[in-house]
Amino acid sequence: MLLRLDDVQRHFGGVHAVDGVSLEVEQGSIQGLIGPNGAGKTTLVNVITGYVRFQGGRAWLESDELTGLPAYRIATLGVARTFQNIRLFKELTAVENVLIGMHTRLRDDTLAQLGTLPFFRRAQQRHVRDAYALLESVGLAHAVGQRKAATLPYGDQRRLEIARALALRPRLLILDEPAAGMNPSEKQGMRELIERLNADGLTILLIDHDMRLVMGVCKRVAVLNFGKKIADGTPEEVSTDPTVIKAYLGTGGEREVTSALGAGGVGEEQEVEQSATAGRSAKEPDQPILDIQDLTVSYGAIVAVRGVSFRVGAGEVVALIGANGAGKSTILNTLSGVIRAESGTAVFDGLDLTTAKASTIVRRGLVQVPEGREILARQTVLENLELATWARRDGVATRKKIDEVLKRFPILGERRDVSAGSLSGGEQQMLAIARGLLARPRLLLLDEPSLGLAPQMVDEVFRVIDEIHDEGTTILLVEQNALRALGIADRAYVIETGRILLSGSGDDLLHNPAVRRAYLGG
Amino acid sequence: MDFFIALVSDPVGFWNSHTLLISQIGINGMLATSMFLVLYSGQLSLAAPGFMAVGAYVSVLMELYWHTPFAVNIAAGTLLAALLGLLVGLPVLRLRGVFLAIATIGFVEALRLGVILNVPITGEGLGLKHTADPLGGVPIILVSLVAVVLVVWRLTKGRLGSAWAAIRQDEIAALSQGINVARYKMIAFVLSAFLAGYAGALEAHLSFIIAPLDEQYGVTRAVQILTFAVLGGSGFVLGPLAGALIVTLLPYIFLQAGPYINIFSGIFLIAVIVFRPQGIVGRGGLALVRPAWWPRARVRAPSTG
Amino acid sequence: MDQQILNAIFIGSIYALFAVGYTLVFGILDILNLAHSAVFMLGAAVTYTVVVKYGHSFWIACIVGLAASAVIGLVIEYVCLRPLRRRQAPPIAALISTIGLALVIVAAIEQGTSSSIFSWLWVDGANSVAFPAGTVADPIWHIGDLTLEASKVVIIPITIALMLVLGYVMRYTQVGRGLRAVAENPRAARLMGLDVDRMISLTLVISSALGGLAGIMFGLALGDISPYIGRDNVEVRGLAVIVLGGMGSIPGAVIGGYLLGMIEVLALVTLGSGASGGVAFAALFLVLVLRPQGLFGTRLRERL
Repeated sequence: MLLRLDDVQRHFGGVHAVDGVSLEVEQGSIQGLIGPNGAGKTTLVNVITGYVRFQGGRAWLESDELTGLPAYRIATLGVARTFQNIRLFKELTAVENVLIGMHTRLRDDTLAQLGTLPFFRRAQQRHVRDAYALLESVGLAHAVGQRKAATLPYGDQRRLEIARALALRPRLLILDEPAAGMNPSEKQGMRELIERLNADGLTILLIDHDMRLVMGVCKRVAVLNFGKKIADGTPEEVSTDPTVIKAYLGTGGEREVTSALGAGGVGEEQEVEQSATAGRSAKEPDQPILDIQDLTVSYGAIVAVRGVSFRVGAGEVVALIGANGAGKSTILNTLSGVIRAESGTAVFDGLDLTTAKASTIVRRGLVQVPEGREILARQTVLENLELATWARRDGVATRKKIDEVLKRFPILGERRDVSAGSLSGGEQQMLAIARGLLARPRLLLLDEPSLGLAPQMVDEVFRVIDEIHDEGTTILLVEQNALRALGIADRAYVIETGRILLSGSGDDLLHNPAVRRAYLGG
Repeated sequence: MDFFIALVSDPVGFWNSHTLLISQIGINGMLATSMFLVLYSGQLSLAAPGFMAVGAYVSVLMELYWHTPFAVNIAAGTLLAALLGLLVGLPVLRLRGVFLAIATIGFVEALRLGVILNVPITGEGLGLKHTADPLGGVPIILVSLVAVVLVVWRLTKGRLGSAWAAIRQDEIAALSQGINVARYKMIAFVLSAFLAGYAGALEAHLSFIIAPLDEQYGVTRAVQILTFAVLGGSGFVLGPLAGALIVTLLPYIFLQAGPYINIFSGIFLIAVIVFRPQGIVGRGGLALVRPAWWPRARVRAPSTG
Repeated sequence: MDQQILNAIFIGSIYALFAVGYTLVFGILDILNLAHSAVFMLGAAVTYTVVVKYGHSFWIACIVGLAASAVIGLVIEYVCLRPLRRRQAPPIAALISTIGLALVIVAAIEQGTSSSIFSWLWVDGANSVAFPAGTVADPIWHIGDLTLEASKVVIIPITIALMLVLGYVMRYTQVGRGLRAVAENPRAARLMGLDVDRMISLTLVISSALGGLAGIMFGLALGDISPYIGRDNVEVRGLAVIVLGGMGSIPGAVIGGYLLGMIEVLALVTLGSGASGGVAFAALFLVLVLRPQGLFGTRLRERL
């Protein structure tokens, strides 16, 4: 056994981020670790690697106990990791990044540097050669070496981070979502890289959202949900485990997902019961309230949205679905004026969203309920709601509207004077939606409204969304719980690596095997 | 302008008539390098004037009371400054960003106003008179400056320097590469204190008197040293040095401005930060940042939709 | 002793007023506005000039002084902060650009002599001046051993009243909620339709007006107006105050102001005039090392 975890615990406030997880990783294996967003995977990695303190349990790497050691000691012992959100030394070149990875192996050359002795020059040249060899081993060309890390394309940054981790000569490599935001061919490349590293004898703990990648590459897979390990076994065992399917794919509401995914996750298509949304038109509206043409958005060198065009008609519910990092939230934030587009147009009711101020956009009636809810934790529930009426200028009516909202969400009415930060996740989501409604939206953007919520709460959130729609508000929904989103949507677009892959009515997509493959990896 | 013409047309005469200015540039260059060390390792420390004061007072007091040789005085002042750097660094290096800056300001002012002004041996508010040769130190200062810059430059090229760069860029990622962040920050902090102490000790011998003035050992000095580094650019060891040179020479550069020199200096400072954030010596050649009100070049292709 | 306590409360009021402006900007922008002490000085200097050079009444001069301070607040935002915010520069950049502005303001006053281009603003150069006697009625009362000068005593209720008003605005009004929202989560505030840039401008106007007011009251009560009153009296002490009370906390800054006044007066009484200067900074250092969230703060925002 290379890595052994015994009953690891970590809470944040009242939230059990990691709740008694035990896990064993065999020498030379690729161990998968999966689970829905917010299941505690990254927290578990942070505990193992010393970034977050243990609050219970212990961990060993072979005979070395990791419990309680500082992060740099754990790295020195041979646990290398990558980060979900890529943490390269951005202003340094690729080779410099890898050279820093060799830190623990290099002898202290401080005095030698002062004398600049030729002997050490040679040693340094050897290290640089080693660094280039490592870059090559993860598939980065020699020319990439001299480029600043921040200027590399996204996929190369991921690879560079792995090269840097390898420079530690680790006994265990922990990859935290190495394929997030990659397109299928990049994912395939990453998969080959992981398999090659493993074939060279490296033990890997792989965390990813992409079931297809994890199921395909791992011999064993553990599943976390709400901080607890709910399954551990071969990919076949795990992918046929009903609790896993329920946790990972989300529940279909009244539709019970009873049928299992096929072996290896690549199964035949699923028959899901017809829902009441049949017969809706899949055609884009001619008179859209929101018209997006060829929208492209980048963060530095990383192109997050590439030439996306779609329309939303008044009164519709439109869903954007796709894997983590596909660019969905970026689209919403561009529409809200928080991020600026590189090219393309987005027009809402005659207003050019690519140049308008964020405050103007809200006043016009395009309101976003952001991912992660972003409630103002230090203000009370009531203060959050009162502030939400900022964009409207209708005096007395505002007061009445707040009362209405408090009645509609009784839980908020009960807790109006407590600070919003003390609400549960579901209550916070309700508050975020209520806040959105108070801004008098004509088009409501909902970003991952069910993220990290317990199943009953998810039901409640979707019931509310349905209600809001019935009252005539147009809704653009981004959701990782694809079954639920497609169930409620008139039309939907499947986004992958910044492009629209598929579109159609909610029902069509629900029954489209390609959707399952693209999005669920199953 | 006359100032620069003299520099070119009569270098020897210039040297002789501006010895004090040249010495001051040398001292400020070392202080800028001391600031560079902490900034390079990602720490916003303003403690340098405190360490300068230690170097200055210790060396002058030894000279006055023990009549020990010049070199011994300087060495003692410098080493005590470094030792104090270690003692101060232990508690404060847990702090980051402006919190570290404020804590070090607290240290500087507590030392100046609380200790120096109240311990009789320091001459309190009146300062200390001594009989150093103010001009004899120029060669020592210039040689020291060159040596200091060379050493620090070499350090940034080795294992130590890459660890500092890693910490500055991303402490979390540095930890994941097995770098003992706390230790390397401390090394930079103590080295910086050492340099500041050395510069302070040398500077004390440029004049016949040292006194606990704000411009000398207080916040104003700390801010000035920070300005050297930020203005020059803190990514490369020559940046702060260039900053020190420019700031020390500002009165000559803006000679025409006469009494309004500080107004031009202030505007210059703002302009550099706004238009040239990486400092004067930095990556990007001569590029300036385009201000928001400057019309943007339209490169966008016309929409085809 | 009683007289000393009175002095502590008086000087504490000035610290509090000054520091509230300081902390307001830090709380919302996470930036130390080092031009704040120059605004403090400018408020006093402009008021003095309007009274002495232009011969208006003190009250009109006060309004002009406050207006000038507020305008400088906008200059700080538009010149020193907004261009840096646009490209997400590190806080250290704003530190330097506000220092630059402070340098300009102090130099303008310093060089203000009757023959300079700043003669309209200030004519006394680097000298320290005081409002001429009788600018405002300044009766002196004696109660027991205590000597109460109206110009000093009046500062206390003004400060407390202003802090109550500010507290009320921040706590119960829509604008106050908006400012707190911008401080806590600018992204969320923007998505709720707040114009974040405008809220920040407003913050700087309020902050600078308070700083200017503190300067006017300081100049009036202590009879000391010079280009250096900001730097010498409140620049670093202001830092000590907001650290004592917890960075970014308004009530913390008020309590911190009075606390620092008390500490200094206590040090003066027990240790003599020499040591009192260092005590504030020793306290600053110790508080940051032992309790970086401040004496009354409960949480320190995570920053990596």
